[in-house]
Amino acid sequence: MAPPEVHQLFHRPIADHSFSADKQTLAVARDTSVELYGRTGSGFALKDELKGHDKTVTSVDIALESGRIVTCSQDRNALVWEPSPTGYKPTLVLLRINRAATFVRWSPSETKFAVGSGARVIAICYFEEENDWWVSKHLKKPIRSTITTVAWHPNSVLLAAGSTDAHARVFSSFIKGVDARPDPGVWGERLPFNTVCGEYLNNSAGWVHAVSFSPSGDALAFAAHDSSITVVYPNGADQPPKAVISVSTQLLPFMSLIWNGEAEIIAAGYDCEAYRFKGNEGGWQLTGSLESKGGPAEEREESAFNMFKQMDLKGKTKDDTQLKTVHQNTISTIRIYEGSNGAVQKFSTSGVDGRIVIWNS
Amino acid sequence: MSIMQHHSDASLLENWRTINIDALDPESSSNFDTSTLHPAFAPVDENEIRTLGQQVRQLLRSGDAEGALRGALEGAPYGGDEAVKDLHLQTVTEVLQGIKASEMSPMLKRIFTSEGGGEALDVLMKYLYKGMASSTTRSVTSPTKPSMLSPQMTGGFSQMGGRPTPRNENDGAAMSVLLSWHEKVVEVAGLGCVGRCMSDWRKV
Repeated sequence: MAPPEVHQLFHRPIADHSFSADKQTLAVARDTSVELYGRTGSGFALKDELKGHDKTVTSVDIALESGRIVTCSQDRNALVWEPSPTGYKPTLVLLRINRAATFVRWSPSETKFAVGSGARVIAICYFEEENDWWVSKHLKKPIRSTITTVAWHPNSVLLAAGSTDAHARVFSSFIKGVDARPDPGVWGERLPFNTVCGEYLNNSAGWVHAVSFSPSGDALAFAAHDSSITVVYPNGADQPPKAVISVSTQLLPFMSLIWNGEAEIIAAGYDCEAYRFKGNEGGWQLTGSLESKGGPAEEREESAFNMFKQMDLKGKTKDDTQLKTVHQNTISTIRIYEGSNGAVQKFSTSGVDGRIVIWNS
Repeated sequence: MSIMQHHSDASLLENWRTINIDALDPESSSNFDTSTLHPAFAPVDENEIRTLGQQVRQLLRSGDAEGALRGALEGAPYGGDEAVKDLHLQTVTEVLQGIKASEMSPMLKRIFTSEGGGEALDVLMKYLYKGMASSTTRSVTSPTKPSMLSPQMTGGFSQMGGRPTPRNENDGAAMSVLLSWHEKVVEVAGLGCVGRCMSDWRKV
């Protein structure tokens, strides 16, 4: 397996990152601005800076087809950045929320995006031609606390959301005139706006950090602060789900997760490395880390002289200021970098250490 | 001087910074009952838990310490009131004190790898924390009803309360048993177990 590609962009936390479709542009949320990096050979160079928010930017997403960038921030606003020959042009979105915006993602159709917030609502935003305006409609019930994360179903109508009330929920975000009527499926038949298609809570009930639909959209996985991941297999409208499988781990909690096909999940978080889970409706297991830590490679022959010299200089013989993992701090986002038909060949991670790492799965 | 005087008078009069605005907002998140977020538990009777306690002690006396521990952990009375929960804490503590230090790790490993064992160790961890908390509150709280204003009386985790000081030898010994169990449980069930202890709404 080829070693991962590591890019140390700066020494500040990266709240979120997103690659453009051609992988030549990388958007990174850094403090109150979004930095755009361009691919230069084997590295990335700062190309542009999107300044428009006046508080910490919490999330950024690049639409793959249109190249539009959406950002949201603790200043309660979301901005859509339209690419133009003279640079990116921001448009303010009317979110109508009175708390921080926490998370934003484009729908696969790219006609809508969802913004999670601390105001206990999810704003579903879409473009209104006649007013030349991005407007929003709120998903409100039955959210009881801050929305920490959202994820879209491949049909661009269903939306999964995780919240600090420890529930993962699946909503319909159907908007007349924007969406095509979805085909009935395992999540329900009729899906008017704000239909709650599912509400899930696991036993030890940590707040939810990450949600994700499987590539087919017929299963939902979520990671929570109780160091678990839970996979839900629904069974049609108003029916109890076919299976809800919870895997409690010995590790620290996961912050983000992606599916690799229908039978594998990759999750990463406070342990600073990515882990692989495998399973199906019958059960899921943690199969191990994606990092091969086959002992420190640069371990030199330790002479007694060297040992005493180190003890004299540093008061210890081993340098233990570095973690053995590639990331040196919590991983906050994991995204698919390269994949086809739901199978992931490469994925990217970013975290508190200011590194972007591209992995082979 | 006179300006300062004036200033403090005004703030006393208005005192608007201390108004709890959440109480006035019907939409506020502090105005709903958090117990509605999860399903309720079946209530547990005091007699039931007494019987369970006797069974567990019986097992412990007959030498089946592992069975006793498992039985005690699986019968955790989530739906009971405080008295019932304290009663069961006593049972669990007795079992923990009755197991030799050399037995701990192998027993925990056996439980962890068995069916539903991870869950059992999560419950054990909750009892360890509850045990530590209750032995400190007993030594800190005075016999009189604690007043809401006194920082010492908030339940043992307040910073103002100072270091928990065991009142006597007995408390100290109980604490050292709990601490050595804690170390062994973290070794087997990992830090995830501690996290779950905090996030879980099923309180013991």
